Amino acid sequence: MDHSLDTAENSENLKRFVIEPVSRVEGHGKVTLLVDDNNQVQQCRLHIAEFRGFERFIQGRPYWEIPILVQRLCGICPVSHHIAAGKAIDMISGVTELTESAYKLRLLLHYGQTLQSHALHFFHLSSPDFLFGFESDLTNRNIVGVIQKHPELALQGVKLRKYGQEVIRVICGKRIHGTGCIPGGMNKPLSREDKHYLLGDTEQMVAWAECAVKTARDCYLANEPFHKNFAGLRSNYLSLVGNNGELDLYHGKLRLKDANGNLLFDKKDYCDYQNLIQEEVKSWTYMKFPFIKTMGKESGWYRTGPLARVNNCDYIPTPLAEIARQEFVAYGGKEPVHSTLAYHWARMIEVLFSAEKIKQLLHDPMITGTDLIVQGKRQSEGIGVVEAPRGTLFHHYQVGEDDLITKANLIVATTHNNTALNESIRMVCSQQINGREISEKVLNNIEVAIRAYDPCLSCATHAIGRMPLKVEMRHQQSGELINRLSKDIDGTLHR
Amino acid sequence: MCLAIPGQVISINQSAKPITAKVNFSGIIREVVVEWIDQVAVNDYVIVHAGFAISKLDQQAAFETLQLFDQFDQQQE
Repeated sequence: MDHSLDTAENSENLKRFVIEPVSRVEGHGKVTLLVDDNNQVQQCRLHIAEFRGFERFIQGRPYWEIPILVQRLCGICPVSHHIAAGKAIDMISGVTELTESAYKLRLLLHYGQTLQSHALHFFHLSSPDFLFGFESDLTNRNIVGVIQKHPELALQGVKLRKYGQEVIRVICGKRIHGTGCIPGGMNKPLSREDKHYLLGDTEQMVAWAECAVKTARDCYLANEPFHKNFAGLRSNYLSLVGNNGELDLYHGKLRLKDANGNLLFDKKDYCDYQNLIQEEVKSWTYMKFPFIKTMGKESGWYRTGPLARVNNCDYIPTPLAEIARQEFVAYGGKEPVHSTLAYHWARMIEVLFSAEKIKQLLHDPMITGTDLIVQGKRQSEGIGVVEAPRGTLFHHYQVGEDDLITKANLIVATTHNNTALNESIRMVCSQQINGREISEKVLNNIEVAIRAYDPCLSCATHAIGRMPLKVEMRHQQSGELINRLSKDIDGTLHR
Repeated sequence: MCLAIPGQVISINQSAKPITAKVNFSGIIREVVVEWIDQVAVNDYVIVHAGFAISKLDQQAAFETLQLFDQFDQQQE
């Protein structure tokens, strides 16, 4: 990889772009392609607006405020941040084990969140690409087109998401920024009425989630040779895995597999993450590039999220999702499934797992238990890690004797997948760019590749699901602009 | 990390397919899909992901969040 251009052209502008609240919502997604003398794409850079200074912002605040604070600022997946911070704060409170009821309520909350986040992503954002084709007319390639052509499917997607939101609402209250996790437990029990209300729909949700897996699988397999290689990468995979090797999105130990499916490490305590993972800083972006320390930054990058989790686990502890996993694994053969577009298939397997898990939890008598808080001896440090919908989420805090945070470190899913995102775009460009021209097709395909990872893109408020994207082709050494194409939110193209 | 700031709905286009709204994010107006949140009304605050309003905030929660962003920006300067 050539790093000669790893210097921001105008660092002053870069800083402003990142910080100003206005540009926070203004931005086009921006991709820079660096090509050599033979017009071969050597490197791709996806510029995602990233907040630097967030960790510093948390410093000086009382530790018990953190689960509420992070969910306010990170409104795209507030529940995941709330739970990860909650786990870290448990540790600071000296609590190593929650009561059974509090633990199960947290699981219910987490699986409700996963269900709604995955359903939103697949049905609303991604299914139109598959159902109508990556190149199809933008006026149809959206959820309204899906409603018209596949009304039943669209309705199921909407209702699955709604159900996940209802699970969150009954636990956290009406406001999305309600509370749930408090140091050492949960702040209110699940009422019997709410339990029965949710129980009424569980069978239906599991059935629809099964359909969702079939839809995602069939979409993928319908054009398998193309989908398999589209933005395809061979990578390492990192995820939490439960104590017995099962898929567990709330808690577990870290597992890393290589591209051949061999274990590179397993059963690693996530509190030791700083010895395992290092983050590289590059001058052209505030988003860091994590890699496995012992492997180095060239080969130590990895992917997280649904694809990593379904590839990494030994089994899924619910019956229907396990059947779906076996089919997925059989498709991969001896290796993990590497196709970037298989993220969608894996994501729907997790939807089914979440639906089954919610059903199991609601049938568990402990779910309405009222013994919800444990106390412990105050510690000076806490680390909480969960498998958030988009991937492994790390929260790490240190606290002074005055209860104020002295240091914070967060690694979010989109950051873990940073190298992979850039590499996937590079694959699309290498496969599809001939010469010095960026076509509309390339632009559309870059968008599909980015979407597979479901990055948190709150900063670019893409109107109507259309990604405003600017792609520039520059010479690798000189930095000279060779070609550019941008697409506005209304689909208008500019050269 | 990508932080989501609340935007305020300034008008709704019920006849659009999907239903959209013009939303004001600290002075920047954007058109977003509001099909998936219940009973959205003018002046409501919403959180937007990839062009879709994914949740509604009550006014107090929105103010508290915007206040945090203000503090955040002040710290940056």
